Amino acid sequence: MTSLPADLALRVEPRRRERVRELVRRHPRAAFGTAVAAVVAVSVVAVGLGSVGIAPGETIAIVVRRLVGLDLGVTWTPATEAIVWELRLPRVLTAATVGAGLAVAGATFQGLLRNPLADPYVLGTASGAGLGAAIALVLPVRIVFIEFGLVHALAFVGALASVTVVYRLSRLSPWSGMTNLVLTGYAVGALLAAGLSMAMYLSGSSLRQIFAFILGGFEAASWNRLALAVPLVALGSLAILFRARALNGLLLGEEAAGHLGINVPRERALLLALGSLVTAAAVAVSGLIGFVGLVVPHVVRLTVGPNARAVVPLSAAVGAALLIAADLGARLLGDIPVGVVTAIFGAPFFLMLLRRAQSGYEL
Amino acid sequence: MDAPIHHRRRAVGALAITLTTLLALAACTAAAPPSAAPSASPTPLSAAAFPVTLTDDEGAQVTIPVEPRRIVSLTPATTEILFKLGVGERIVAKVEDLALYPPEAGSIPDVAKFGSVDLEKVVALEPDLVIAGGNTFTPPDAVEKLRSLDVPTLVVYAPTVAKVFADIELTGRAVGREQAAADLAAAMRAEFDEVAAATGSVGRPRVFYEIDATGAIWGPADESFLAEMISLAGGDPITTGSPDKFDIPLERLIQADPEVILLGDAAYGVTAEQVAARPGWNVTTAVTTGAIRPIDDIVVTRPGPRLTEGLRALLAALHPDLVPVPAAP
Repeated sequence: MTSLPADLALRVEPRRRERVRELVRRHPRAAFGTAVAAVVAVSVVAVGLGSVGIAPGETIAIVVRRLVGLDLGVTWTPATEAIVWELRLPRVLTAATVGAGLAVAGATFQGLLRNPLADPYVLGTASGAGLGAAIALVLPVRIVFIEFGLVHALAFVGALASVTVVYRLSRLSPWSGMTNLVLTGYAVGALLAAGLSMAMYLSGSSLRQIFAFILGGFEAASWNRLALAVPLVALGSLAILFRARALNGLLLGEEAAGHLGINVPRERALLLALGSLVTAAAVAVSGLIGFVGLVVPHVVRLTVGPNARAVVPLSAAVGAALLIAADLGARLLGDIPVGVVTAIFGAPFFLMLLRRAQSGYEL
Repeated sequence: MDAPIHHRRRAVGALAITLTTLLALAACTAAAPPSAAPSASPTPLSAAAFPVTLTDDEGAQVTIPVEPRRIVSLTPATTEILFKLGVGERIVAKVEDLALYPPEAGSIPDVAKFGSVDLEKVVALEPDLVIAGGNTFTPPDAVEKLRSLDVPTLVVYAPTVAKVFADIELTGRAVGREQAAADLAAAMRAEFDEVAAATGSVGRPRVFYEIDATGAIWGPADESFLAEMISLAGGDPITTGSPDKFDIPLERLIQADPEVILLGDAAYGVTAEQVAARPGWNVTTAVTTGAIRPIDDIVVTRPGPRLTEGLRALLAALHPDLVPVPAAP
């Protein structure tokens, strides 16, 4: 109120944001459709670009031919086909699946725990998955079943097991609120992280692979791995979307949610389980990718408001688009870790968004 | 408010179904034959050796259908071996080599770094043989992916000197240069035997081979390749006391009292004066007698044809009086 620019900003910014919210509220399908169109557009670019230059016509012809069997009269070499169909497309779709899953899980945990710093890994999932993967890599056995190794299996199991332990431990205490859950998650996570550090110290030549898992990435994406992750992520995310009312209610506080007729303990356990399942599936195929799960739900809420019915599907779309784009950047920059790209480009963007949002955002 | 939500649910559901269908389709068509495409047919083979099935250093059975003409070399040692066997011009791409050898390899494009491979570039070059590094030098996922795309991929890993010779012979069989490889390995074995004979009757100085000491002190692990090379050159290697740890506590090093310190990190600017000035090191025999010598880390540790040069370099550093002939080029 003291200076003119601040006064102007206060009056202009909320209005523009209100307009976006109003548009999304009135045209939910259009909003979601726009987001999905953005995902498709980013995917097309990401399949078209890579360290090897392939003519757009060839790329399109290969995808069309493989998808619908239609011959567009363009010829290409088997190598080109392998690059587009076996290397790029599974990688892009895996990035989309993981991005969508982590963003949905992040939105779920943030709403559930009413904590803006919550992300998919908040309840010990990251350390659990990392420890599982490290144990698999240190063990002198190599089991591979349709491209699924012990690493993927133990990462998945480790993620779910750590959440289960955290949940059970938090319920032992007489006060079983969300704060208790978060702190239990922190303690268990610290313990598992110590185990992970020890495994890394003892790992010898497996160290590089453990490190690669912790950094996360999509270099190893394949159709078979994708085919196992997609149903888990898609069904888990849909189930979360169907519980959007409970998620909205829990955002008001447990007591208020109870007054709204929501079975708080049951919904809380269900949402926790679903969010963890989606996270574990994502982590099993791509390792620990950070940032997306924390920031995407905030970006969406800053734009369209806190209603979970809008936040969950839009987070999925934005998360997918963001990770596809980040992975494309990582590939073009010589396969640097994708988490570096998301943070370098995402963090300043997020800061800008925070700066512009001058009022009215509390979890 | 309710109707739009319902629509949105349907939209999301439709998306999920579309995705699942897309994947199912993808899975179905994945096995379809590749579309008609012009692929360069390899030149008719001269020898009857191909197709050949070899067991690589990780136990995988690798079938190479025709004599390879387009080879991707994913270890620096393999690049050296292929040039030594006279098939260097068949290398279409290689791993980045910061200590490039031979110089002719400089014109070959890099498609990989330590720990990562640009699979797109490898596949685009349509190689008929990829030779990758074991012990995760080449990411195992990349090896798996190349094999799933029917690119013959041989993994080599030589933790011992004997395995270096075996890998040279394996590489020779893989590229149709079996005789040349056998001759090379035999010549190298003979040179190692010659050095062993020369050092058999002389005293074996206690040797510490410094890999790096900028932070912790790094030296050879027990039973490691470096320890073996030092023994073969007539030294008594001071090791870390663990089969897989390469860091050695200073206390252990001082107690072992090295008579000679070899600076494998000399190329990074470490000098004898610096070593002598380090706290605690001054009590060792090597420092008091001034037996701190630089050594070319690459030839000593690279499991390729120049390993005999490495052995000669070690011999010259440990037993300067014993070196009868200059190292063969």
